[in-house]
Amino acid sequence: MIAAAWICLISPLAATALIALAGNRLTRRGAGYLSTLSVAVSFVAAIVAFAGLLGDSPDDRYHPSTLWSWLTAGQLDFGLRIVVDPLSVFMMLVVSGVGMLIVLYSIGYMEGDDEERRYFAYMALFVFSMLLLVQAGNLLILLVGWGLVGLSSYLLIGFWHERPTAVAAAKKAFVMNAIGDATMALALFLLIQRTGSLNFEVVFSQADQIGGAWAINLIALGLLGGAVAKSAQLPLHTWLPDAMEGPTPVSALIHAATMVTAGVYLIVRTGSLFEQAPKVLELSAGLGAITLVIAGLVALVQVDIKRVIAYSTMSQIGYMFMAAGLGAYPNAMFHLMTHAFFKALLFMAAGLVIHALAGEQDIRKMGGLRRLLPFTFAASLIGSLSLAGIPPFAGFFSKDSILAAALDHGWYGELLWVAGMVGTFLTGLYAFRMLFIVFWGEPSPFVREHLMAGSHAHAREGHEMHDGHEQHMHSGEGPLSMTSTVGVLTVLTVIGGFLQFAGVWTPVSDWLEPVARPLVEASGTQEAVSSILAVLLGAAGIGVAWLIYGARSSTAPRIAWAQRLLEHKFYFDEAYDFAFYRPAVFLAKGLMRWVERPLVFGSVRELVRGFGLAGRDTSRLQTGLVRTYVLAIAGSLAVLTLVFVVVR
Amino acid sequence: MMGPDVVWYLCVAGFLFCTGALGVLIRRSPLIVLLSLEIMLNGANLALIAFARHYGQGDGQIFALTVMAVAASEVVVGLGLIVAIARRKLDLDVDKLTTLRG
Repeated sequence: MIAAAWICLISPLAATALIALAGNRLTRRGAGYLSTLSVAVSFVAAIVAFAGLLGDSPDDRYHPSTLWSWLTAGQLDFGLRIVVDPLSVFMMLVVSGVGMLIVLYSIGYMEGDDEERRYFAYMALFVFSMLLLVQAGNLLILLVGWGLVGLSSYLLIGFWHERPTAVAAAKKAFVMNAIGDATMALALFLLIQRTGSLNFEVVFSQADQIGGAWAINLIALGLLGGAVAKSAQLPLHTWLPDAMEGPTPVSALIHAATMVTAGVYLIVRTGSLFEQAPKVLELSAGLGAITLVIAGLVALVQVDIKRVIAYSTMSQIGYMFMAAGLGAYPNAMFHLMTHAFFKALLFMAAGLVIHALAGEQDIRKMGGLRRLLPFTFAASLIGSLSLAGIPPFAGFFSKDSILAAALDHGWYGELLWVAGMVGTFLTGLYAFRMLFIVFWGEPSPFVREHLMAGSHAHAREGHEMHDGHEQHMHSGEGPLSMTSTVGVLTVLTVIGGFLQFAGVWTPVSDWLEPVARPLVEASGTQEAVSSILAVLLGAAGIGVAWLIYGARSSTAPRIAWAQRLLEHKFYFDEAYDFAFYRPAVFLAKGLMRWVERPLVFGSVRELVRGFGLAGRDTSRLQTGLVRTYVLAIAGSLAVLTLVFVVVR
Repeated sequence: MMGPDVVWYLCVAGFLFCTGALGVLIRRSPLIVLLSLEIMLNGANLALIAFARHYGQGDGQIFALTVMAVAASEVVVGLGLIVAIARRKLDLDVDKLTTLRG
């Protein structure tokens, strides 16, 4: 079991190294297969580890393993250490399982790209980083994985490095994540000072003896900072929508399997620390609630198909933060899993649309794709229904259990519950706004040009236009590697939710119980009330979307200021620009003008000029004529002699 | 055996040395410069021998012999240089040989 866990961890890293070292000796497609295979090996290994854990009694399901001592400093000793327990195995299964499907999908999506090998090496690296993060046996290794996830996301978001926007987005993601990494590192320093260790069992067992309310609060705040940055919650969320500049499968990987779920995982994993700082825990729940509403609102006006889904991710992660912050850990993890299924599905379906339309992402140019891409439409519909929390799809079970759990947390929980309900309505609205715009109605001129005009010409002119490009256009929904993975995810989205049905059977909660014991327990009534209300609100959102975008029987209300506010995404980017970027630039320019130029440049320039002058004047002494040298020697000898004589 | 005082010998030696030094300083032909160098060395030799005589010791004379040997070698090297310069069809003018200047 331990061996399986190590294999699970090492396999994608090995693929990265192999692809990087093989270079041209590996075909482009070979790199894709190798990458997929390595993640598949991880998945199988994760299943083996899972089966191994099943054999233990619930209280013994904790197996640390240290490969070697990695860092030693004085009394401290940090091993290269992993832990196999229900929580890490749960995450391993999600990360490697969904990751495998996404990498497989990429083979079709990225075909023909100039740098496929690099892409697949990065993808495997990304999966490795996330596996390291979730398998880490101490917080230092977890931080290493944390940083590596940030690095790989940077590499993949900026994969199309010839696009300046992609490079800017990659930098933005990296800087935003670096802020979180820094707060997290500070929290770890404080933790080392207080407990003398970063090993999970040591730290967690001493959580209540850390001493000093401020210390534990600072530690929890630092960890929360890391989680917020990685999971794109307010106020460090602005990188996520921009990260859509990367290839679509990368977005799917970031949103579904890796990266953004890391924050939720961190809170659940370090739950016993957070529980000592209840205010911070409530803060994270509040941040989640605010994020889910704001992201839902912003998603209403987005016109880029991927950005709509990106904001929906922020919103759904908001639910998970809310659950984790309320102490409903199993509900958060369950939603993490179902979200991984339907979010990967939505992104991949969007990828199919983008693929079919030759890279177009603007939904205003789309329309009427329902009949042209029926399979993609079905997948998107199921994904969107799941996102909106309509039974029997996965999102219904997980999201409603979060809402129900919120009711068991006093007035604060009820406040969050209201926010979550508003979010549910918004989710239905924005998800189906996109769906109706893209798939409903008559095909738009743009779509006609790309999907139908070609086939007409093809029919008219027989096989004359039967070149490769046309062939590619006509393959319709996409190559098998893409459609098959979308199919698998569709099935998972349909059945995934039945894994846990609150009140009836709860395998996920039971499985995670030894690691993450929930603080709240919703009663049957609360479950029922929340579920019915949430479904009604979700359906209402869909209904409104239908009226405006599907049937087009009414128009969206136009409120100028609200629309401006939403289109500027609540002015977060502008505010950060004003609060941080501008002052920094101002300061830098001032320093350049008043310090650098006159003092540093000036002094160096004067020094150089002085030496130059001195050298020029001294070089006049060097005539090259032997006789002047002789004269100088003779003259100085004479002077010296005189001096000696006189001094005597 | 009495001759003139040692001072006179030194005066002649100094005169010879100064003549040679002046020649080195103001003449342009390398041949003459070499010649002037010889004169300087001979002035020094004369002073050495005069002192040897004055103190009644042989050291100065031995030194003078060494100087002659060095002078002979120096002439060989110097003439060799001059021949080399002439072979390369350069002017025999020390003022033109200013490559030492940086």
